[in-house]
Amino acid sequence: MVVTAYRPATLAEALRIRAAERAIPMAGGTDLMVKHRRHAGLAPKFERPILFLGHLDELRYVRRHEEGELPGLEIGAATTLTDLLMAAETPAALRQAIAEMAAPAIRNAATLAGNVCNASPAGDTLPALYCFDAQVVLARSGGERRLDIARFIRGPGQTDLGDDELVRAVVLPLVPFDRMLYRKVGTRRANALSKLSFLGLARLDGDIVRDMRCAFGAVAPTVVRCRALEARCINLPRQALAAQRADLLAGYAELIVPIRDQRSSAEYRRAVALRLLSQFLSDL
Amino acid sequence: MIAFVLNGQAVTIETDPLRRLLDVLREDFGLTGTKEGCGEGECGACAVLLDGQLVNSCLMPVGLVAGREVLTIEGYRETPRYRAVAEAFAAEGAVQCGICTPGMIMATEALLARNPNPSDADIREGLSGNLCRCTGYNMIVRAVARAAEKGRGLWW
Amino acid sequence: MSISQPVPRQDAAGKSSGATPYVADMKLEGMLYARTLRADRPRARILGIDIPPLPEGYVIVDRRDVPGRNRMKLIFDDWPFLAEEVVNHVGEPILLLVGPDRETLDGLLAQIVVHYEDLPAILTLEAADYAPRHSEHSEGSHTTPPRHSERSEESRGQAAYPPPIYGADNCFARYELVKGDPEAIFAQASSAGQGIRILEGTYTTGYQEHVYIEPQGFVGLVEEGGKVTVYGSLQCPYYVKKALVELLACSPERVRVVQTTTGGAFGGKEEYPSILAGHVALAALKTGRPVQLILDRQEDIEASTKRHPGVFRYRTAFDDGGNILAMDIDIKLNGGAYAGLSSVVLQRAMFAATGVYRVDHVRVRGAVLATNTVPTGAFRGFGAPQAFFAIEMHMEHLARELGREPLEFKMAHALRQGDATITEGRMWHPVRLPEMVVRLDELSGYRRKRQALGQGRPPAGSLRGVGASLFFHGCGFTGDGEQNLIKARARLAKRADGKVEILIANVDMGQGPQTTLRKVVAERLGIPLDDVVYDNPDTDRVADSGPTVASRTAMIVGRLLERAAMEMEARWGESEAFEVVVDYRQPDFVRWDQHRLKGDAYPTYAWGANVVEVEVDPLTFEVTVVGAWGVYDVGVPLDEQIVRGQLEGGLVQGLGYATIEVMTLKDGRIEQNSLTDYIIPSAKDVPPMATDLVLNPYEDGPFGAKGAGELPLVGAAPALAAAVQHALGLAVHDIPVTPEYLLRISEAAKQHEVRG
Repeated sequence: MVVTAYRPATLAEALRIRAAERAIPMAGGTDLMVKHRRHAGLAPKFERPILFLGHLDELRYVRRHEEGELPGLEIGAATTLTDLLMAAETPAALRQAIAEMAAPAIRNAATLAGNVCNASPAGDTLPALYCFDAQVVLARSGGERRLDIARFIRGPGQTDLGDDELVRAVVLPLVPFDRMLYRKVGTRRANALSKLSFLGLARLDGDIVRDMRCAFGAVAPTVVRCRALEARCINLPRQALAAQRADLLAGYAELIVPIRDQRSSAEYRRAVALRLLSQFLSDL
Repeated sequence: MIAFVLNGQAVTIETDPLRRLLDVLREDFGLTGTKEGCGEGECGACAVLLDGQLVNSCLMPVGLVAGREVLTIEGYRETPRYRAVAEAFAAEGAVQCGICTPGMIMATEALLARNPNPSDADIREGLSGNLCRCTGYNMIVRAVARAAEKGRGLWW
Repeated sequence: MSISQPVPRQDAAGKSSGATPYVADMKLEGMLYARTLRADRPRARILGIDIPPLPEGYVIVDRRDVPGRNRMKLIFDDWPFLAEEVVNHVGEPILLLVGPDRETLDGLLAQIVVHYEDLPAILTLEAADYAPRHSEHSEGSHTTPPRHSERSEESRGQAAYPPPIYGADNCFARYELVKGDPEAIFAQASSAGQGIRILEGTYTTGYQEHVYIEPQGFVGLVEEGGKVTVYGSLQCPYYVKKALVELLACSPERVRVVQTTTGGAFGGKEEYPSILAGHVALAALKTGRPVQLILDRQEDIEASTKRHPGVFRYRTAFDDGGNILAMDIDIKLNGGAYAGLSSVVLQRAMFAATGVYRVDHVRVRGAVLATNTVPTGAFRGFGAPQAFFAIEMHMEHLARELGREPLEFKMAHALRQGDATITEGRMWHPVRLPEMVVRLDELSGYRRKRQALGQGRPPAGSLRGVGASLFFHGCGFTGDGEQNLIKARARLAKRADGKVEILIANVDMGQGPQTTLRKVVAERLGIPLDDVVYDNPDTDRVADSGPTVASRTAMIVGRLLERAAMEMEARWGESEAFEVVVDYRQPDFVRWDQHRLKGDAYPTYAWGANVVEVEVDPLTFEVTVVGAWGVYDVGVPLDEQIVRGQLEGGLVQGLGYATIEVMTLKDGRIEQNSLTDYIIPSAKDVPPMATDLVLNPYEDGPFGAKGAGELPLVGAAPALAAAVQHALGLAVHDIPVTPEYLLRISEAAKQHEVRG
């Protein structure tokens, strides 16, 4: 019988199979089972065997660690979205993004790592991960490497995952923020794919902006984040932001290159993305 | 060989591990109370409990279910909790065409097991992955609230 | 005990426990599966089909296997069960592949290659509008003879026009109604100084997909002796039977149709099941085995019928005093590739075109045109939701022109008992709109909110508004349908086992007749409800009481059962077991001329009034429905809880139609072909709702009941659109009211201001 799926007992075994078979990693399956679905009553079909990972308890954890100056969260690859909602340490920005994703039954199976590896331009957790400078921990039988999420995700559905690698964890520096605006504009209030999303985060020290990050989802092939534009706000008094606004909007307008698809129009995505940014800036 | 617990019984099945749990339940075990409404995890008519958590069985490869506990409507309907939920659904007019109902009931159990005293918003959140086209939902939400209220000794 | 008092539904227990079987749950000994090869072009000639070698036990079924007529019998004769030389829409069935293993079927299907010659397709309603070639006098008739589809002399020179899909002018049906003398009034209006003002408006409505949670499906088999039996999810057992009789060229006793418990329908299982039943019947006959065909959701969305999109153009002459002098209305509906019931949808839309208002001079011209897109068909409301959106928005716009509060303006023009209808029939029965509106205001606070909310009003940054709609729904089949087409018959059987059995063709698809009609019979006979039996209809056993459509089941068929029960009661002692047969008779007061479309299009009407309150997000233009209220007159409710289920469900379905249910086509293909992309309301999208009823017994309805199934969907969209108008201070002309649409009209308004 042709092997359609492997169920390793450990991460080590999973890595061996990954390398030997170029097996397709599947944690919760909520994206892959839809992407590869066939007619009612049929099992999905894949070009390579599947490598089940969702059952590996050793990959299901949320661990806080103090690394360098910043504490961080290490989130194992089999950690579900529900696990993250239940974990007290999950930062508000990520928590809110997850809370507005899909519905309970999906969140109970879907994983953060899966959302990252799916690399959809509309991936709901991505704007938060980009803003926090998350890193992806890539394991192979020989060792590990870490990659910034913005380098790991190359394009729609494209990542830097090697044929012999698996995502072992996502590391999220717990960058402190005291201002947040998160808006996901979906096709409906629940269980909806994103037409566009915006996350704006800032930390103020009195009236001075010490940190400011924004990310846009679903308005370009990958999440839009621009440190150069953010840098223009850093160490400015917030009253000075108004003067920056026109340039910031113009700067992001160049980066926001939405498409028209079955969910929304390019004009709407662009216009609303910029309105949300503008709102975030004026709220600061 | 895939071994798991189904409605309280240990079972094993030899089959393609990528087959959808939905199909395994309906065809191999004859448990047709779990329905296919969309095959894409949107409608919730296929919802079952996996280790007590609500999942869409149309997206669950049976290989991932090994060693775990699956509860379908056929297992659940033997319990006093089910009776309370079913009575509440009937009393509040929450059943029309019925195709969404088993999934709604599983979602109700998943909700009340975690949150025995849910607010209106909590109930809607708990049912947010279960689509109904007949009722407009409010009668279902009232049924869940009624089950919760009358649930002394069941969920609280 | 009042008939309206709710009773427990007998079907709730089986449905809740998962025990009640639906068609996809059926598994018969030796059952095979069928898969359908469907066209992936909007319009093409099939030059050839390459079929791979088929393993033992696998067969192809195509149009050559049709013993009788390859046309689905409905009103027109254009809809093939299986494609012939030309396919006319993406999703059109070409052939079936039948066999024991679904994996193998999938593999074989993927290997089939269809060689097409693409033909110029007609993909939009605008492109479908061919000027009539001849001076046609519109004739109102259910059967417009199909004209021959070759290009006429005139058009041969116009290479740019694709050949019409139907008839000489690409039009399935065209009608015109004139009441009074609108031409004279418009002529007057064009001379200056007459004090007559004109307002024009164009209103458009989009597609809607039913999204019954149970996809369509059938199981067909050939019994010993050769009778073909089909089991399926359907609304109209006898439509299916008649379609099969023609397909198979057999006598009626050789076909049996059994309804399986139907997981939602909403009109979507009125026509299309006949096609699927035909497919399984052909497959069962060819293989000699039972065959199951269940549509995949994507397939169901792409291939089965949808609500007709429409364009409504209004031109109204009025004066400063707010009098409506005349209206000229043009309606165009998109019928898709095959006619189906389009001619009747058009009629109902036309009869609703002046809404609940008295308009003494009106001309309505309507046409339903053919396009190379999914055939459109029945969907709860059947032309009325489209028309009421248009007339209600037009009245809102008229009110605005006159500086009048819209609901007050509307009520000033509302029909009263005795008034003439648009077809010069009469409102024979009391019209309770005034008290309904009072009650609606009590429930919703409409008048207060109309003052307090609205564009620019505090609190700053929030855009809230309320809107109201008034509407009706004609009960029963449009025009002479009940009298001349359906001729409903009901049978009631007193059985030796002590039970009384209802033998009608109407189905329970969630809306509860298996409870409400049993109540009618039990009450009239004075027997316990549990002693009345009403199983899913089987054409071998039940009378043809007509289809489960047109809000007729409770009122028309329920009345037949009430009469039957009363007769049975009088004859009770006569025998241990006997049957009462009752045939439909049109009420004496109804006068209708189907050819001229004059008179009483319906014996009576159900009425509704809605208020919807919205909040529009100023950044994203997302519309949140904050509250929805409805007051309805359905005569007398046969069960308050079941009726409330219809009122709330219909209202939510109408709110979805107005907002998030977006369906667009690209190159003839539906873009939102999954439930991920075609979005219906979830539990989180639904506002608090309150509904109430006004009693208005109808003398020819059982216990005074009128139809209630479709009415509650009809008024939701205009009330919502009116609320959005109020919130934004912008005119809305189109549904769905999406955030993208609101951004567009808001930008357009700003441009307009800037230009001054």
